[in-house]
Amino acid sequence: MGPPKRSGFKSEKASKKRKKEEEDAWIPEEDDTTGEGEEASVPGAAARDAEKSDEKAQEDEFGAKDYRSQMVLKPDNTSRPLWVAPNGHIFLESFSPVYKHAHDFLIAISEPVSRPEHIHEYKLTAYSLYAAVSVGLQTNDIIEYLKRLSKTTVPDGIIEFIKLCTLSYGKVKLVLKHNKYFVESPHPEILQKLLKDPVIQECRLRRNVEEEGDGFITQVQDKKNVPTFGGKPASTEQNNESNTVPDDITNFYEKMDNEEDEDESALQTVSFEVNQEKIEVIQKRCIELEYPLLAEYDFRNDTVNPDINIDLRPSAVLRPYQEKSLRKMFGNGRARSGVIVLPCGAGKSLVGVTACCTVRKRALVLCNSGVSVEQWKQQFKMWSTADDSMICRFTSEAKDKPMGCYILVTTYSMITHTQKRSWEAEQTMKWLQDQEWGIMVLDEVHTIPAKMFRRVLTLVQSHCKLGLTATLLREDDKIADLNFLIGPKLYEANWLELQKKGFIARVQCAEVWCPMTPEFYREYLMCKTSKRLLLYVMNPNKFLATQYLIRYHERRGDKTIVFSDNVFALKHYAIKMNKPYIYGPTSQSERIQILQNFKFNPKVNTIFVSKVADTSFDLPEANVLIQISSHGGSRRQEAQRLGRILRAKKGAIAEEYNAFFYTLVSQDTMEMNYSRKRQRFLVNQGYSYKVITKLAGMEKEPDLFYKNRDEQGQLLQQVLAASDIDCEDERIPGEGGSRGGSSITRRVGQMGSMSGADDAVYYEFKKSANINKHPLFKKFRYN
Amino acid sequence: MADNGIGTSKLDNSTFITQSNLECKNLYDYLKTRPPNTLERLYNHPAICLAVYRELPELARQYVIRILFVEQPVPQAVVASWGSQSFAREHNYVTKVLTELNVWMEGSLPGGLIGWILSPTFKRNLKIALLGGGKQWSMSSALEPDKNARDVSFLDTYSSERWECVLHYMVGSQQQEGISADAVRILLHAKLMKRDEEDGSPVITRQGFQFLLLDRQAQVWHFLLQYLDTVEQRGLDLVECLTFLFQLSFSTLGKDYSTEGMSAGLLIFLQHLREFGLVYQRKRKAGRFYPTRLALNITNSQNKNAPLLEEDSPKGYIIVETNYRVYAYTDSNLQVALIALFTELMYRFPNLVVGIITRDSIRQALRGGITADQIIGYLKQHAHPQMLAADQKQTLPPTVVDQIKLWELERNRLTYHEGVLYSQFLSQADFNVLKEYAQSNGVLIWCNKEKRTLVVNKNAHDEVKKFWKKYSKGS
Repeated sequence: MGPPKRSGFKSEKASKKRKKEEEDAWIPEEDDTTGEGEEASVPGAAARDAEKSDEKAQEDEFGAKDYRSQMVLKPDNTSRPLWVAPNGHIFLESFSPVYKHAHDFLIAISEPVSRPEHIHEYKLTAYSLYAAVSVGLQTNDIIEYLKRLSKTTVPDGIIEFIKLCTLSYGKVKLVLKHNKYFVESPHPEILQKLLKDPVIQECRLRRNVEEEGDGFITQVQDKKNVPTFGGKPASTEQNNESNTVPDDITNFYEKMDNEEDEDESALQTVSFEVNQEKIEVIQKRCIELEYPLLAEYDFRNDTVNPDINIDLRPSAVLRPYQEKSLRKMFGNGRARSGVIVLPCGAGKSLVGVTACCTVRKRALVLCNSGVSVEQWKQQFKMWSTADDSMICRFTSEAKDKPMGCYILVTTYSMITHTQKRSWEAEQTMKWLQDQEWGIMVLDEVHTIPAKMFRRVLTLVQSHCKLGLTATLLREDDKIADLNFLIGPKLYEANWLELQKKGFIARVQCAEVWCPMTPEFYREYLMCKTSKRLLLYVMNPNKFLATQYLIRYHERRGDKTIVFSDNVFALKHYAIKMNKPYIYGPTSQSERIQILQNFKFNPKVNTIFVSKVADTSFDLPEANVLIQISSHGGSRRQEAQRLGRILRAKKGAIAEEYNAFFYTLVSQDTMEMNYSRKRQRFLVNQGYSYKVITKLAGMEKEPDLFYKNRDEQGQLLQQVLAASDIDCEDERIPGEGGSRGGSSITRRVGQMGSMSGADDAVYYEFKKSANINKHPLFKKFRYN
Repeated sequence: MADNGIGTSKLDNSTFITQSNLECKNLYDYLKTRPPNTLERLYNHPAICLAVYRELPELARQYVIRILFVEQPVPQAVVASWGSQSFAREHNYVTKVLTELNVWMEGSLPGGLIGWILSPTFKRNLKIALLGGGKQWSMSSALEPDKNARDVSFLDTYSSERWECVLHYMVGSQQQEGISADAVRILLHAKLMKRDEEDGSPVITRQGFQFLLLDRQAQVWHFLLQYLDTVEQRGLDLVECLTFLFQLSFSTLGKDYSTEGMSAGLLIFLQHLREFGLVYQRKRKAGRFYPTRLALNITNSQNKNAPLLEEDSPKGYIIVETNYRVYAYTDSNLQVALIALFTELMYRFPNLVVGIITRDSIRQALRGGITADQIIGYLKQHAHPQMLAADQKQTLPPTVVDQIKLWELERNRLTYHEGVLYSQFLSQADFNVLKEYAQSNGVLIWCNKEKRTLVVNKNAHDEVKKFWKKYSKGS
């Protein structure tokens, strides 16, 4: 008997899959057309994508990519932890005895895709390899170690890819020493090659014209100790590896460790000096030549900029991962520019403060709201010896005298503001631009679009840039540009591991399904899109669930934040339940008052906030978060919101979870799809969402609003009577920016332009929207 | 999400979704459908009596033992009084089982009372099985030592190889030896596969998919039952085959038995069993055979949890992650094919398959007739040792389990009511009267004023009809 035919639905599945892949293949092309302007400053190699290199891999009968022909299983595969797919994806067994080694190595060379319990997935990208090289890994070492860790032979395509991406990267550094810029490299031949380029030749600064030969300045780097950070706890490294680890892995690991040390101790480098005015030109040219310059700042040898007298307080103790991330930054005694990714609540500010204290030069901290400016100032005062005279804030509301201060905290929008400023602010800006900043700390770096970021970079001169974020991720995937604007990703923490070690809260994520009431659902199906949003947010069952959850947690003595993107809903919920709320137009002083009450007043246990609180609202007390409406399918928003309750909670170790994150979704509506999308990031970090279809005990709860039909009917009338603006509020791009002058709402506008909205369209849209809306807005704001 | 606009009032009681799912019969279900004379013949063999006895519910076994040596009928009231009143339901069930299996029958007592008495054949042979005596009832093993003796591990490999051949054939994977036309016929008969409409080649059915997800013991049992259905068409004697099967199930693993004295029919049957891996024979005419693990305890359904089939319980190979990823450590096409039933496979490495569980992939499986429980059961049964690590309370991530169940529930959001349609009323008044009557009795399911049609609950149909007749006569 011959093989039987595959059943009908099987082949249908396969064809669907194929179609999906075709769609996938389409997307990059679209991206190319929209992102033309920014592509120019990214080296060609970065555009290479390992993903495409497996196109030749045939599909097996089940629609999977069959790599079996491309690799050979090693006989001792059980003791090796990796599979490397020809498309750059790497799978790592977290239960392998060599997990720790492999994990450190993979973090350095690749991007984590998902890190749940047992098997982690990483992906090799041009950027990640760039980052690997910039922290000192060598091409051959990367390949060799990958080979040894892998259960199978490593596909040729991948080796090729690694070579392509690493050979020219990270070989040349732009170093600022004694306030002169040098292009430095341990490989003279590369400098020779660069100097053959006429543009670069022009940028070269020859102090001494009679110099002979190539005239490189040769020097041997002295032994440099990695600076120590604060009072670090003695590292308790255990070495209890089982014997199952193949020798070649351990040997090689030790070798690599040692090599790194050697690298630091004595390294011969050659360099040539560059004309300071031509820095931009040479940077751009080098990128075109595929030798992107890594910016390093030799802050110890910088004698021109004055040192500032600032140190970490003895009480500031760095956690292991914070120290590790800083070690990557100051690895060779100089300060590298780059991005450090830590979950919210894991102590990003302390990393920022420590970095400033290590560099000990003028520091500029940029964040994205007035509230976080205040919080940064407090962080500096708490962790470092800086006092009020050294730190100053530069915002539209708090204008300290910034001239001559050492640490300046301000917002992105203050710097990039294009309209006319007050005289005072104008003076400050001038001063700010004249300064040479030692270090620039960029908080929540993922939120700023590339364009704005370029403006910041052209306005402010700084030697070293440190980006801090929790979620290096954007819906438009433009995040990669940051690699070349700031620097490579230096470190990314594993959420689940931090959670296990108790550095961040253990969060129970839950998705609560609220069925639509029949009346609401009827309207939902009939009305146009803008109203739909309001209908599913105002779903009485959702309201009931919110009330129930708030009461439940208030009884437990928890502190609850309720998030709503939709202002109509926010106000309605808050007023009905008699709770304080904060949204865009809320004034700075009122915000601070509400937050203070929330922190210290035992009677205020629940606050309602709009998306203004998504980032940088530090609310250490909060341990319950209820989300009733959100911004479409934004993964980042989800992660940021979770971050509001991640700060490690004291006590309550016994409980399995010490924080709760509820997302309420109306069943059978768009929200379900959004919610699935939103969760992807956190799910990949190892979080799991529990679906709750029924809240036990809700029926018995007395005096809930909107329990009976009549009330629900009234609510429906209100919702239907609500104007279109109510449905869309805080969703219209740029709406808050010009009006309230509050820097926070302004960020909303940038989201629009970030997601690909072209400038022209953006402004027109805003204008017409304002004309149409104006009277209604008045009404909306004052009643 | 427009596909959720299903709140419409279309009630079509003719198009009930009838899902023909795989029916898994246990021994009791199978035997009770046999005619009494077949049962009587079966009970002639102590082995079968013992097997039947072992499969009886606990209470039934009690009863049997209590009246085994009673030579006259025991009054029914007396039997009923053995248990407390609160277990009347169990008692009734057990009574039904025993009657259906023809284990006991009614007998009249002097004085007109009705009592229970065990079937004489069953009684005699069960005594033999329990106490010994009579003819030897297990198979003869009077053989000189086999010079090509096989050990247990060989038999295990052999049996799983043979069985997987059948499964491979079902999933249609290419690397296979092929199976006999007879086996294909059984698969077709069992509706595990069906002939493709176009070219007549066999393709797997939804029952087939469900079959694949069963554990091995259940698979064998189900397959054999289907086989037994066709036995008579082949001119074999059902009772003889069943008897042999039961004898086989009481045999010893690793021991060889003689084929001497077996009828021609039984020898054919033996060859079939050999093909499926239930017995091992070196050569067709070897004169001896070895039962394999598959054949042992096939009738025993009660201690399913005990790992009877060792080759089935060993190393689990599936890891399910909270992000719905499925990693399967396998290179077996069969296992990959099974996982592919409900996951979307992404990559295949030499010893690993990477897939992801999606809503679509699960729905695909559900459409194919596989249930969420079967999927979860399969994942659980084959979970990788890492998943069973001590610090975890649940083998599978609870969220994934919940989600799979929710996906299944999603498909069953319609509730069906059987109803009767009333239409073509002559006047609006008539319609209103009937509507009000139905409404006040709470049996109205749906009505449309404009079209003067209404649907009432089917159970209330007679009542409504009566009312309607009375009403129309009156007016």
